[in-house]
Amino acid sequence: MTVIASGRGGAARSRMRTSTKREALLAYTLLSPALLLFLAFTVFPLAFGLVISLYNWRIVPREFLGLGNYARALAPNSEMWSALSTTVVYSLLSVPVQLSLALMLAYLLFQKIRGKGFFRVAMFLPYVTSTVASAAVWARLYSPDIGIINQALKSFGLQPLKWLMENKGIFTLLAEQFNVTLPAGVTGPSLALVAVIIYTTWVFVGYDMTIFLAGLGNIPGELYEAARIDGASGWSLFRNITLPLLSPTTFFLSLITIIGTFKAFNHIWVMTQGDYGTTTASILIYRQMYEFQRAGYASALAFLLFTVILIVTILQNRFAGQRVVY
Amino acid sequence: MNTRKIVPFVAALGLALSACAGAPQPTAAPQQAAPTTAPQPTATSAPPAAPEATATAAPEPTAAPTVEINNPPRTPEEVDAIDLTGKNVTIKFWHRYAGSQVTKVLEIANDFNQKNPYGIKVELEQAGASYDDVYNKINASIQGGGELPALSIAYQNQAALYRSEGVVIDLTPFIQSKKYGLSQEDLADFFPYFLESDKNPQFPGEVLGWPTQRSMEVLYVNLDMLNALGATEPPKTLAEMEELACKAANPAQETYGFVWKNDASDFAALVFANGGDLLAPDASAYVFNSPAGVEALSLYKRLFEKGCAVAIPTSERFGEQNRFAAGKLLFVPASSSGLPFYASAINAAEKPFKWTIAMFPQASADARPKIDLFGASWSVLKTTPEQELAAWLFMKHFTEKENTAAWAITSNYMAVRQSAAQIAIEQVKNSSRFANFPEAAEGYAKLYDWIQYGAVESPVAGYDPVRKLIQETVQKVAVQGEGDPAEALNAAVEQANQLLAEYAPK
Repeated sequence: MTVIASGRGGAARSRMRTSTKREALLAYTLLSPALLLFLAFTVFPLAFGLVISLYNWRIVPREFLGLGNYARALAPNSEMWSALSTTVVYSLLSVPVQLSLALMLAYLLFQKIRGKGFFRVAMFLPYVTSTVASAAVWARLYSPDIGIINQALKSFGLQPLKWLMENKGIFTLLAEQFNVTLPAGVTGPSLALVAVIIYTTWVFVGYDMTIFLAGLGNIPGELYEAARIDGASGWSLFRNITLPLLSPTTFFLSLITIIGTFKAFNHIWVMTQGDYGTTTASILIYRQMYEFQRAGYASALAFLLFTVILIVTILQNRFAGQRVVY
Repeated sequence: MNTRKIVPFVAALGLALSACAGAPQPTAAPQQAAPTTAPQPTATSAPPAAPEATATAAPEPTAAPTVEINNPPRTPEEVDAIDLTGKNVTIKFWHRYAGSQVTKVLEIANDFNQKNPYGIKVELEQAGASYDDVYNKINASIQGGGELPALSIAYQNQAALYRSEGVVIDLTPFIQSKKYGLSQEDLADFFPYFLESDKNPQFPGEVLGWPTQRSMEVLYVNLDMLNALGATEPPKTLAEMEELACKAANPAQETYGFVWKNDASDFAALVFANGGDLLAPDASAYVFNSPAGVEALSLYKRLFEKGCAVAIPTSERFGEQNRFAAGKLLFVPASSSGLPFYASAINAAEKPFKWTIAMFPQASADARPKIDLFGASWSVLKTTPEQELAAWLFMKHFTEKENTAAWAITSNYMAVRQSAAQIAIEQVKNSSRFANFPEAAEGYAKLYDWIQYGAVESPVAGYDPVRKLIQETVQKVAVQGEGDPAEALNAAVEQANQLLAEYAPK
């Protein structure tokens, strides 16, 4: 009896194992095209980049340096620190301004106002416009001698600025108006970097606003009704319902915006080519790779940038993620 | 950690990973052994019988001794021994030409494909929109072990880097080949300076490129503005130029006398004009921190301090040309190859004016002038001796008198042969584009008289980042008004010499 039962159970288990194997085989078969592409175009280049970073590599490998490129990048007088600090400043100034403005616009355009469809599209347009084209147009607007912005300043009797060609910090420029000389540490970001940030905000605020609008649409209306019955209104509703329930959206946007600012390249290259205090980490990597032909060092810089982004993302996830209300 | 927290974390990690992958990073093409070894002999041997006579060489005696042909060939005899008969060699030419330029190159290539007696076929490939694009593509091909063209455009410093990697060959044996080379008469027809400019102190005795085009740094002058200032002719000295530039400037009206357009060649022209050099003649060190260099940078600094010069944003292409055409600039230091574009812009301007090009002013009117001459060449890359010879024969055909003249007229570059120069001059003078600007057409004619004063910036590998260093130094000291010219140039030269050592052929 036992033998018979065991035999039946064994056959069933065997059938199950065969079925599971078939399912697994099917799953891997279906997965394999994507997996192969992932291995070929993501894993292999990353691994190969890592190998390159260990060499003095100009066009071809010349000398194995081990961690020499990393040590060079992390040396106290390395240009990486300056580029990284510019990147951090760019991120710290861009992200809060972008997100605050986007949230404000989203909240405004979520209300029942006339023409909100038009304004939503108008705000989103810069995001779908070619970055290179719009950056070139903005660069022309910023032109010190023929740019419209300076023409406008002059028409109001104000001093024209060099904008994208101004290396001086904005605090220094302000202080100069009052004949005050600031010490080196408190000059602020260059005016050129601030001009780039203004452009960045113009481009991305529409995208952030659209995501916020989607988030606002997901907040149940009953919550507002219940809160109103309890006497809440205006700021109280926004503070206690909108903001907390938008936190997943805010978290998502802050995540991708910070990563985006650390990777930013195209518009900065078009507007300044990294001159006048706008050499961010990505610009530095590009220049080391293509101007200096230092593939090993550029790869090491890229991996260090990756590490920085990873750390920032983990920290953001750990601290900001805890405040997200799902 | 619950699932809701894991999901965003995984998403964040993925985004961070993709961020790294998306950041500019080195080309990660699959690697093969890169062709970096020194030229090695190949098994190719000369044909037992002498090759057939061609239009360019006398028939060889029969039963010529067997010659081992190296790749690349090292002697004219080895080149003579290559037999292309019946081989129907096809070669690729990587270029960056567009518009009418590519049409003309294609026309000449088609003519060569039809007429050459060896069945050589030249295929043109646009490898990018700029010289840098072609440079990066060649470097990527070397790195990835990909196919290289037999022929490519390249600046001298780029050819030097290719030569360091063993992929550009010395053209001397081809030039001197009795069967396929150039006669003494032909060689004498080329402007000697143009031929010299493809020689490189880092590779003594070698010719790493063939001059198909050259340009010169000149001064574009708004003659109407100049006359209004009381001057009757363009300045001959830098002091005169500075004085006139400042007289003409009126920043309130966005009018300036001089311009900085982020071009290291403009600085180089000023260094030469002051009697200096960028690079020591033996290529042992950069020397643009000499008194001549300091004076060049000081001149820019003074012009900006006094509001006499304007800086063109890096993002603005042809900003100086547009301002000149709008009558907002008295002088523009620029390449002679821009001449027809300036003519078109001024023809289309609201108020056309009289203008010309003049020899770049010098520190002293009595000293022998020194003028910046530049231009990309065509370099032959290491493929097979047959393809290398085919590439040479195409270049030889391309620089025949009629083709040289036609190319100069189409491309706006200077003709590289003396016999072709007069044809190009006549064409420019009779061109409708210059009908309103006889002074400018006359300026073009004078270009050929100034070739004898030519000076080369730097033909060594690694000059591109040095150019960037120079541009940053001028930006900082002159445009931003920060720092002392001598100190800034010393710092720049120190970095430039580190680059020189880093890129030096090993």
